[in-house]
Amino acid sequence: MGYVAVTAGEELIERAADLFDAQRADDEPPVTLDQFDGQLARLTAQAMSEGGLYAPRLAALAVKQAQGDSVEAAFLLRAYRSTLERWDETEPVDPDELFATRRVSPAYKDVPGGQILGPTKDYTQRLLDFGLVDEGTVTDPTADWDIATDRDDGESGPEEPGHDEKDQRGRLTNVMQVLRDEGLVAPAGDPPTEEPVDTTREPVTHPPEREAVLQELARGETGAITALGYSALRGYGQVHPTLAEVRVGQLPVQVEHPYTSDQVRVTDTGVTETEAIVPVYEKRDDPQFAFGYGLTFGRNERKAIGMSVLDASIALKGSDEPAEDPEFVLDTVDAMDAFGFIEHLKLPHYVTFESILDRIRTLRDDDAEPPRAEAAEPPDATGSNESSIDTGSGGGPGETDSDGGEDGE
Amino acid sequence: MDNAYDRNDRFELIAACDGETLAGFADEILAAEPPLRVLQEPRPQLVMQQVREPVEGRPFNLGEVVVTPAEVRLDGEEGFAMRPGKAERHALSGAIVDAAVAGDHSLAGDIVTDLEAAGEAFERERRETWTRSRHTTVDFDVMEDEL
Repeated sequence: MGYVAVTAGEELIERAADLFDAQRADDEPPVTLDQFDGQLARLTAQAMSEGGLYAPRLAALAVKQAQGDSVEAAFLLRAYRSTLERWDETEPVDPDELFATRRVSPAYKDVPGGQILGPTKDYTQRLLDFGLVDEGTVTDPTADWDIATDRDDGESGPEEPGHDEKDQRGRLTNVMQVLRDEGLVAPAGDPPTEEPVDTTREPVTHPPEREAVLQELARGETGAITALGYSALRGYGQVHPTLAEVRVGQLPVQVEHPYTSDQVRVTDTGVTETEAIVPVYEKRDDPQFAFGYGLTFGRNERKAIGMSVLDASIALKGSDEPAEDPEFVLDTVDAMDAFGFIEHLKLPHYVTFESILDRIRTLRDDDAEPPRAEAAEPPDATGSNESSIDTGSGGGPGETDSDGGEDGE
Repeated sequence: MDNAYDRNDRFELIAACDGETLAGFADEILAAEPPLRVLQEPRPQLVMQQVREPVEGRPFNLGEVVVTPAEVRLDGEEGFAMRPGKAERHALSGAIVDAAVAGDHSLAGDIVTDLEAAGEAFERERRETWTRSRHTTVDFDVMEDEL
């Protein structure tokens, strides 16, 4: 079977779309893009992360258009992205270049640079704040902090002990370096000479390159990454890591200037980063740790952590558990793929369903008729004709996908 | 990025500067109707951000970033700019401003002053953000001995 066209009045489809847009129409002023980008930044960040496209203002527009549906917004961003040419790839940026606004290390209590909580409510109770119900204006609760920012060294307040010169102005020593200094991490190899696989341009092949795994996880759907990472922690896997650190901050985007050929910074991307330390030393001659890496656009710590768990799980090269099977993980974490396949089920499937109905009706009719053979012959004593009607043949797992014809999947 | 007479610094300052400031300078420059040729139309494009993961040092593609580049020749001097996001007008204005400073336009001094002020504002904001974050630095204590 091929595709089957289903017609409907274009005007009526537009009416349905109008009805959708009418849901935003009330007596309140429309939410501005600045409000989405500022006050609902987690939502726009999720859309950018899952869309694989960093563009805060366009993400705010997408979230507004999608009426808050982050996956629909990510879909809109990917559709927009498909209309654009690529200028270039950046030189690979080192995570040490991150301007951190938050960094906590669950592994090292006395991490160089300190445990900087940054903007978070992680350590507070999850209670509804009814004070926001009739909030007149948003007030800055940090406005009266005693912060002098005009000192020559750019610092203020008491000097934190133990942070070296590098740990200034958001540049924090990566905990990986601390471990590497102890010989617990293998030195980084020579940088590869080939460009990393780009899964937006080449299909993922299995077994996948590690960079393909990282790229696909980085733009995976938050819920899927969280759920599959969680599955490993719940015993469907071997990885239960300690996080070296979780960092939130700004990563520079540098391009080659066409006149000078030097690397110049055009903007920063807001990112969340984490490294998961996995004790697999019993599997190695040289006792060292294994690691998983998580990095995603925007503030999305649970996705970054889930990504690091999945990266570490896939690196084990086992396939006993879902989280360790790269084909399973990469086939299910992409929001657009999952969204498209799940939601296509609500589109017209009339021919498919009519076919199923015909088959069921035929089987039922056959079942209702008296077996002609029985009337002529006594039952076989061996019972070999018991299953002359196999009602299971209509939808068994070995059957041709009855959905395949109409929607062409 | 503190010297707007330097081409690299100027690129970064134009990228960080308020777009309307660039547009205002571009309008002033074009008011005298100098010869202008747009070498590259401002059009949103993509830059793939590559990151080197910190353990094996392998680069991978994190995701694409929307930028808008533009290039002009103004009175015989070429100018190039790139703005983050979808920003056609501001990118074109940035390219005009870049060419004007390169060609020592009469407004070059004012442009440089504003660009460098934008750079200082960027640094000041970074300092303030960092300082606020540093005000949340905490010591985690192990409570085992106290139990």
